[in-house]
Amino acid sequence: MEPALEAVGISKRYAGCDALSGVSLIAKPGELHGLLGPNGAGKTTLLRIVLGLVRRDAGTVRLFGRAVADPLGPLPDGVAGFVETPTFYPYLSGRRNLELLARLDDDRRGQNGSRVLDALRRVALTEAADVRVAAYSAGMRQRLGVAASLLRSPRVLLLDEPTSSLDPAGAQSVRDMVRRLAAEGVAVVLSSHDMSEVEALCEAVTIIDHGSVVYSGTIDGLRQAAPAPVHALHTSDDRAALALAAGRPALRAAAAADDNGLIVSADTGSLDAYVLALAEIGVAVRTLEHRGRSLEALFLHLTSAVRH
Amino acid sequence: MTLRAITTVTGVECAKLRDQLAPRVVLAVCALGPFAFIAAMRLQNSTPDDTLFGRHVKESGFATPLVVLGFATLWVVPALTAVVAGDMFAAEDRYGTWRALLTRSRSRGEIFAGKVATAFCFSALALAVLAASSLVAGLVGIGSQPLVDLSGMPLAPARAMGRIAAAWASVLPPAFGITAVAVLLSIVTRSSVAGVGLPVVAALAMQLSVYIDGPDAPRRLLVTYGFGAWHGLLTEPPYYRPLVYGTTVSIAYLVVCLAVAHRVIVRRDIDG
Repeated sequence: MEPALEAVGISKRYAGCDALSGVSLIAKPGELHGLLGPNGAGKTTLLRIVLGLVRRDAGTVRLFGRAVADPLGPLPDGVAGFVETPTFYPYLSGRRNLELLARLDDDRRGQNGSRVLDALRRVALTEAADVRVAAYSAGMRQRLGVAASLLRSPRVLLLDEPTSSLDPAGAQSVRDMVRRLAAEGVAVVLSSHDMSEVEALCEAVTIIDHGSVVYSGTIDGLRQAAPAPVHALHTSDDRAALALAAGRPALRAAAAADDNGLIVSADTGSLDAYVLALAEIGVAVRTLEHRGRSLEALFLHLTSAVRH
Repeated sequence: MTLRAITTVTGVECAKLRDQLAPRVVLAVCALGPFAFIAAMRLQNSTPDDTLFGRHVKESGFATPLVVLGFATLWVVPALTAVVAGDMFAAEDRYGTWRALLTRSRSRGEIFAGKVATAFCFSALALAVLAASSLVAGLVGIGSQPLVDLSGMPLAPARAMGRIAAAWASVLPPAFGITAVAVLLSIVTRSSVAGVGLPVVAALAMQLSVYIDGPDAPRRLLVTYGFGAWHGLLTEPPYYRPLVYGTTVSIAYLVVCLAVAHRVIVRRDIDG
């Protein structure tokens, strides 16, 4: 099956620094493709390049098999998405914003009204349709951004952390929607910080770190490449525990994302030795919870998020 | 780039303008300002004798649009034209909406052309409203007596109307030149304050430079030179050289500013 999106060898430099260095991203029709990486890894820059917002210094982008010759040209039909929090004209209502954006895609005004209503309904914004965007919450703007993308009847959909500002119900609704779109044949590229979300949603993933791809393939393939089981560790002194881990090459540890304890990745023998060593320096282990070979552990392993 | 695409973008920009406060306030001021001026003239005994046609303002209603024109070209016309043009592109930076605008099916060139067309349309509309309003205010408040032109010759109402229309039309080229300057500043500075404020300050400084001693040639290169060209249309016989020269200079400003602005916008990375 021909890929819907092929971005190959993409490089971008900003002020002498490599934001992206030979990054490739390939998404097939009907595929939910995760784009993972720590902050500043280059995920958003890659999406900007594919969406024609930023010029690439090297590489090629092909959409539906056709090369995108002008890197800053108009977005081809069937491609949609947003980067960062979607932005709209705050003095206009959500409905009016979508109507104007729809006119930029297709100036047949008569048909746009029903398309706009349908898009608003799909993101559960019908009741707030005539409220000015200035009064929208971040989550509502995010949903409006998804609606604006749906107006383009996408076959390639690029979403930059689409659930980051949503409440759990809203996030689940967006996840259900992207699943349905993928089932309809849309290639969805989902940039996310939420590794469990990507693991649950996506069948393929590209992990970027410092502007380079550190993994690209299926989620199953990534699981098989798992280095060691991961554990959540709570101690009486996490800082000292982290310092102790730094001196043990067989063990990887990092502060948990919510600064609540540590994430430790090691084989059983190394972990046993580490726990005993903690006791020797007077650090009590309060809980040690097996987390399995989750994508979070693999992500930590592959990227510089892990502090040795 | 197609005309239909540009028209579509222009329609979208006009729809956005309709929902903004500043353009509506500007048009309201253009529509009501001359009536306030005439009301003030009727309340006071003196006339603005130091302004062209000021001494005739109570003798003929046709003098009103010319007095307003003489005053407006100092800084009002630059302000009217810059208020939309200077904000049109910078507003997308302020709201962060370039990302929304440039991820649709229109090219940057089409969006640029549509926005510029909207800015020019608004400039022309504001001038037309101000001209029509001052003529109506003069005719209603003072009357349709013959106008005495700058040569001291009386002009019958029909002829006076024609000259007034020509005089107002003659300020369109420099007004468009300033619109183009405002567009460029709006794009380059990404600031509405600079986009709106700098053209007004620059135009005022250019206008005031005529009071400073010095060679005449550099003054003819100023975009505001064309603002005084209408004086030649109110003499008998009329003379057109300042009009031709001012229009040529204005077109040069317009072409250069829009060419630079277009180059900046089509090459710019939207990374913020």
